[in-house]
Amino acid sequence: MFTFLRNRILSSAIPLLFVVLGVFFLARLTGDPANLYLPLSATPEMRETFSAQHGFDEPVFVQFGDYLAQIVQFDFGESLRTAQPAAEAVLRAFPATLQLAGFTMLFAIIGAVVVGSLAAYRPNSAIDRIASFLSATAASTPDFWFAIMGVLIFAVQLEWLPTSGTTGAGVWVLPIATLLIRPFGVLVQVVRGAMVSALSAPYIKVARSKGASEPRVVFRHALRNAGAPALTVAGDLAVGLVNGAVVVETIFGWPGIGKLMIDSILQRDFAVLQAAVLLTALTIFVLNILIDIGYALLDARVRQGALA
Amino acid sequence: MTTANETPRRTRWLHLLRRDRMASAAAVVLLLVGLCALLGPMLLGDLAREQNLRAINLRPLSTDEGWEFLLGSDSLGRSVLARLIVAAGTTLAVAVPAVLLSLLIGSLWGMWAGFHRGWRENVSMRIADVILSFPSLLLAVVVLYVFDPSVANIIAVLALARIPVYLRTARAESAELRSRLFVDAARTFGTGNWAVIRRHVAPVVAPTLLTVAAVDFCFVMLTESSLSFLGIGIQPPDVSWGLMVAQGRQELQTAWWIAVFPGLAIILTTVSATVLASWARIAGDPAQRWRLTAPRRGRRDRKAAAAAPAPAAGKESA
Amino acid sequence: MKSPLRPRLAGPPGRRTTALLGAGAMLLAAGCTVANSGSAAAGADTVRIVLPEEPPTLEPCDASLTATGRVTRSNITEPLTERVPATGELEPKLAEEWEQLEPTTWRFTLREGVTFHDGTPFTAEAAAFSIDRTVNSDIGCNVDGYVFGDIEISATAVDATTLEVTTGEPDPILPLRLSFVEIVPTDTATDGKVREPVGTGPYRIDTWNQGINLRLARYDDYWGERPDYAAALYSWRSEGSIRAAMVTSGEADVAVGLAPADGAGDTAVEFPNNETSYLRMDATKAPLDDIRVRQAINYAIDREGLVASVFAGLGEPAGQVVPDGVTGYNPDIAAWPYDMDRARTLIDEARADGVPVDTTITLIGRNGIYPKAAEALEVVQNSLLEAGLDVDIQMLDVNAWMEYLLRPFPQDIGPTLLQAQHGNQAGDAAFTMDQIYGSEGAQSSYGTAELDRLIHEGELAAEDERQAAFAGALAHQNDEVVRDAVLAHMTGIISIAPNVTYEPNSATNDEMHLAAMHPAD
Repeated sequence: MFTFLRNRILSSAIPLLFVVLGVFFLARLTGDPANLYLPLSATPEMRETFSAQHGFDEPVFVQFGDYLAQIVQFDFGESLRTAQPAAEAVLRAFPATLQLAGFTMLFAIIGAVVVGSLAAYRPNSAIDRIASFLSATAASTPDFWFAIMGVLIFAVQLEWLPTSGTTGAGVWVLPIATLLIRPFGVLVQVVRGAMVSALSAPYIKVARSKGASEPRVVFRHALRNAGAPALTVAGDLAVGLVNGAVVVETIFGWPGIGKLMIDSILQRDFAVLQAAVLLTALTIFVLNILIDIGYALLDARVRQGALA
Repeated sequence: MTTANETPRRTRWLHLLRRDRMASAAAVVLLLVGLCALLGPMLLGDLAREQNLRAINLRPLSTDEGWEFLLGSDSLGRSVLARLIVAAGTTLAVAVPAVLLSLLIGSLWGMWAGFHRGWRENVSMRIADVILSFPSLLLAVVVLYVFDPSVANIIAVLALARIPVYLRTARAESAELRSRLFVDAARTFGTGNWAVIRRHVAPVVAPTLLTVAAVDFCFVMLTESSLSFLGIGIQPPDVSWGLMVAQGRQELQTAWWIAVFPGLAIILTTVSATVLASWARIAGDPAQRWRLTAPRRGRRDRKAAAAAPAPAAGKESA
Repeated sequence: MKSPLRPRLAGPPGRRTTALLGAGAMLLAAGCTVANSGSAAAGADTVRIVLPEEPPTLEPCDASLTATGRVTRSNITEPLTERVPATGELEPKLAEEWEQLEPTTWRFTLREGVTFHDGTPFTAEAAAFSIDRTVNSDIGCNVDGYVFGDIEISATAVDATTLEVTTGEPDPILPLRLSFVEIVPTDTATDGKVREPVGTGPYRIDTWNQGINLRLARYDDYWGERPDYAAALYSWRSEGSIRAAMVTSGEADVAVGLAPADGAGDTAVEFPNNETSYLRMDATKAPLDDIRVRQAINYAIDREGLVASVFAGLGEPAGQVVPDGVTGYNPDIAAWPYDMDRARTLIDEARADGVPVDTTITLIGRNGIYPKAAEALEVVQNSLLEAGLDVDIQMLDVNAWMEYLLRPFPQDIGPTLLQAQHGNQAGDAAFTMDQIYGSEGAQSSYGTAELDRLIHEGELAAEDERQAAFAGALAHQNDEVVRDAVLAHMTGIISIAPNVTYEPNSATNDEMHLAAMHPAD
């Protein structure tokens, strides 16, 4: 296990460098930020000063070298927009996103395992059809549509929940519900699909013949074997939540990293963008390592049972 | 394979499909969408572009103004119905190639990586990590800023962003399969690697990938919508469902139908694709196919099941 | 490989469940409050305002940025003079009176008994320091670029309450320009910007929970009239319909920057927001280099229809880029009439003379420049196609669009029509004419020597002559140059809860005075 971890961490370092490299150069392809940060009537001298101040006048490779040298000293540059350290803004925003993503995945996985297993228990039954239909609908509902409708109904009409914000327990409901629909819908589909195959496998018959109770057959024997594809897809969905909660964060005024990232892309705030991507990439790499560990554990248990 | 062999097979599938009401409905919906996509732009292209600033935001069923306002008009007085039909063409022209491309590249690559394991697998997975942890929106902004928001570029961006999903799924399953007996056996008999992948790995991996792909349709359509919202998606006067949803979002409170109908079109298409995919999953699995061929009996079985525990167990291994 | 048909069931059954529950509990413990959420207690004596975006900074010398100025100007810090939007007159603020001693020298007599939030007294020295910091430092103040440009300026304190300002060249509107310089104490940093400034205004910064909210509290030793609200709590949501919903559901008292479709309902208050939408033609490229084509474009656009539909009836078809109330506005310039036949005739005439009217013209738009920007362009495109031109649309994000707005212009594109909007914050056409219509203006795609001359005349003139000169230049542009297709003077919407009274004016977008907000009876 230790060697595996060490190798994974070492082999993740290079891709991480590629992510940084990619973001750095791609961001600089999107145009000179001077226009955005200087008044429209700025003189050419002001533009030059601006470029010199932020190092944009150097060749892009030199800029990258400087940037790497800074990173090594944990200096992630300064935001063009707020003139504050980029790392500060990113670290401030990240926990809020992690919380949101964590809750969402927790609910999505529990819900999907229950609903997906129920549906797969008797393929093509009424429950299966309803579950498939609803989960497919959930997975394909435009999230901003869901969010705004949720606000209009539950906050404006019924006044049960606050529209948005960060104070009180009620603020969690709509953002999580909005974030949840897609991962839940997709996971139900995947769990159901994998469970259908797993439940028809020979060892289930064996388990049943040995007198295992039905819930035990479904939730222990079959689910373990259906776990692998579900885990992979859940991992991808979680990754999507870490850097993709843009819509929810934008609409509900959630002070998270998705909003920070899209703002920094649109405002060409390179330092913040790079720091944000670096942090989310790091999280995603860690997440992937965790998934692989989980996968290896599942796999080791499954393999013996599945060999047939 | 001979044609003589194929014809009965096709009729058997059709027969199976007919027995399943929901799957048939889904197939009909998809056929209809496809038909709209093919014929819509030809028949209704001009109507979809015709503005009437004196007849804006007509409610649905405003048929007094003409049949074209069955679903109302948008903020420029254009027929929502005509736009919906015409948009099917653009939408599918983006979504289908994007999903197929990412599915094809991702799953081939993933099976290859999972089959060989070792450094090939490692490098592939790290590349997937890089793509996954990249903000796809930045990629979109860059590609569409540096190049231009043509349909081909939009497809390329969307496909690239989705490749890792298939890559990882296919890799996981094929890596697991590789160690199994029948794959080992095929290898010992000297079958070529790609042949093993094609004959033994692909059929097992395909169902999961297809399920993911069906759901991915909506993801691609919705991403295209958010590109439109940033102005880097489909450019007017072309129209896609994503663009309609994005433009209608501002009107959600005053003219809900502008965003709701294209949103429903996206949902309906995706749900149909998903239903059909899950049907195909059963129909393609010999151990499960009986459920489709004998639905009535199945239902009776289920009624009986209320009394007896574990009723399907016997059937399953039959 | 001796596969028993039995999965090995590993581990005590409870282990994974426990782990899952543990993770859940941890999240919950961390999660009852959102990470980094600031406490946002707001009593009845607090006015709650929701903005479209968080101010990037509250630095007073960046107060010409809308997002900053809206919070900072005349709330936290104050200028020497202030323009009254309704009349266009300058009003004393920290200066009680001023006079022009020589063409290049102005003397300001300052208010006594004013203190900064840190207790230090306001003096002429502070005023001189603030002007110098804004205009002559290297910190890159937005106000410097926006208001002063290349103007040479120096300020000296004669005594505690007398300030003399000299300019390199005569500047008839210097007091107006100085209304953008917010006064800060002399110990304010000169080597960089300050995010949380100290000023003389009726409110001081209380707490700023970045990303969440910003609270200003009443400054008890304010020199002027005591404002009604003890505090103001700003928060921000980028989605207009959410801002509107916050007022409807009682979570906020004032919501800024709404679109007609955001659903503010009865709480919506409309006001002319000083902005004018227009299309800028690139008259250096065929076929737009032919004036008949430019006139045809103006005739082809149905401005009434555009305002009635896309702008939801808000706004006024316009013929010039400055609205009434700005020095230089010409009441005789009417919006171009909608005349499709005339447009077609003009295009046909141009075609007959060999003008390549079939060249594809690109309409370059910017999403969100005003509500329904893309739809507005679709209407224009439709009209121009009907008139016989070939037109494509390309919508861009702000930075990409800026490349086309500002010199030097990209050369790899054919003739363009640029979707633009101009807001004259200062109330004098000098802030419009040279940069938009001068042949070397930063935002100008085309100009003529004659127009340049007229603009320069206006810049040097004062009072009535200034008004006449700029009005003449605008008329010349509209009759002889026809560089633009001006669309409409725009209307803004803010939403005000029934428990607050506030009357928005044309400056509301750029500075929103908390002192002008009162609890309703």
